[in-house]
Amino acid sequence: MIAIKTDKLTKKYKDKYAVNEIDLNIKQGELFALLGVNGAGKTTTIKMLSGLILPTSGDILIEGMDMKKDMFKIKEILNVSPQETAIAPNLTVKENLEFMAGVYQIDNKNEKIEELVKNFKLDEVLNKKAKTLSGGWQRKVSIAISLINDPKILFLDEPTLGLDVIARKELWKIITSLKGKKTIILTTHYMEEAESLSDRIGIMSNGKLVDVGTAKELIKKTKTTSFEDAFISIATGGELS
Amino acid sequence: MRMLNFAKRNFKELIRDPLSLIFEIALPLFLLFIFQQFNIPAENYRLENFTPSIILFGFSFITLFSATLISKDRTSSFLIRLGTSPMKAKDFILGYILSLLPIVLIQNVLFFLTAIILGLKFSLSIIPTIMVSMIISIFFISLGILIGSLVSEKATGGLGSIVVQLVCFTSGMYFPKDVIGGVFAIICKLLPFEACLNIIQSVLHNDFSNLTTVHIVVFSLYFVSVIILSIIIFQKRMISDNK
Repeated sequence: MIAIKTDKLTKKYKDKYAVNEIDLNIKQGELFALLGVNGAGKTTTIKMLSGLILPTSGDILIEGMDMKKDMFKIKEILNVSPQETAIAPNLTVKENLEFMAGVYQIDNKNEKIEELVKNFKLDEVLNKKAKTLSGGWQRKVSIAISLINDPKILFLDEPTLGLDVIARKELWKIITSLKGKKTIILTTHYMEEAESLSDRIGIMSNGKLVDVGTAKELIKKTKTTSFEDAFISIATGGELS
Repeated sequence: MRMLNFAKRNFKELIRDPLSLIFEIALPLFLLFIFQQFNIPAENYRLENFTPSIILFGFSFITLFSATLISKDRTSSFLIRLGTSPMKAKDFILGYILSLLPIVLIQNVLFFLTAIILGLKFSLSIIPTIMVSMIISIFFISLGILIGSLVSEKATGGLGSIVVQLVCFTSGMYFPKDVIGGVFAIICKLLPFEACLNIIQSVLHNDFSNLTTVHIVVFSLYFVSVIILSIIIFQKRMISDNK
């Protein structure tokens, strides 16, 4: 079944198209990576799909529900880990989890928090204020928080940006463990991240979705030898291949 | 209730900021204490007049710190996360307002307790004074929401300080406006702070003879317009910040 479907999704700011008529079909349980250079329209697309901003035109269907009519129902079943770490700085990790559980009105709050603490190994930082944690820990907590409502759809906007190699590998492990259980839309600048984590990859350029496929399919299609070369070829329209 | 959950978070953020507690509670208490030691022979500094002034002075810092909290939330990704949650605009606005009301109550109780220790005669009118000042505080909180929605975290400090100065100089807290007179007196009348102080003092004195229609109209106009503006601007900024 299709989890996310868009039809000519467009966002226009004055005369500039941030996102231009993109059609997406993402299956339930799929990990779909959105790639593109800066300003390609990845984050704007995620913001529209998560109900943060309204499209200029086009339609969004999430789990069969229309974003225009059922925005608040849709918001119950999705969650986002934004590009920058989004946690309350003066609250402890536990309080952050409790607060977000309250935002989503979670019934089995304590069980859910215990589960996340166990899965993300948060015990050692549980009672520390969020602002005192390292960047890697903050990002880990931020992703843990995004699972508090057991979302059907999870948006991860550049989840490993600025992290060291060990913290990044740890997060990859966590993201891999979610594969198949959630529909995940991941944006990233790291080619190896998209290649090793995702089922399919969509490449955006100048607001358009220029190609979609598995890493292997895209390499084959562009007649290149690596995914990075395939990406460069697609994103630049063959100019730099 | 999502708004109470949000208010609880905001309250924790505020009371865990030591600067916020120093300026909202400790500094006004210090001023209340120190000015009584000078025995200044002016009506403004008599405890029954100066305690309401200190309440208003404390409110100006409520504006400053609510503005800072909101601008901080805006500039971090925290509001992006909440913007994708099922929280609605009313949950945000009421969550911010409700989080500050307990601080306003603590301020009022501590200010009156200190004033009584310093010699203010206890009277039952203290209770309605606290209630009325809590309503007035909603204006100051909304002003904070408005400032925090309009400007960056750095600029909130500057704008908040202007509010603190305006409260000090145009409310009649330190000197009556007639001492300067002229345009200054007109400005005092047109700004809401003199009206706020006059209302609180009138309720505490249980004497409404000094409360003019102009004061009530000026306060009501500011109260309603700042609340409406803060809601509109906050909602607009939630969208525009996310472009």
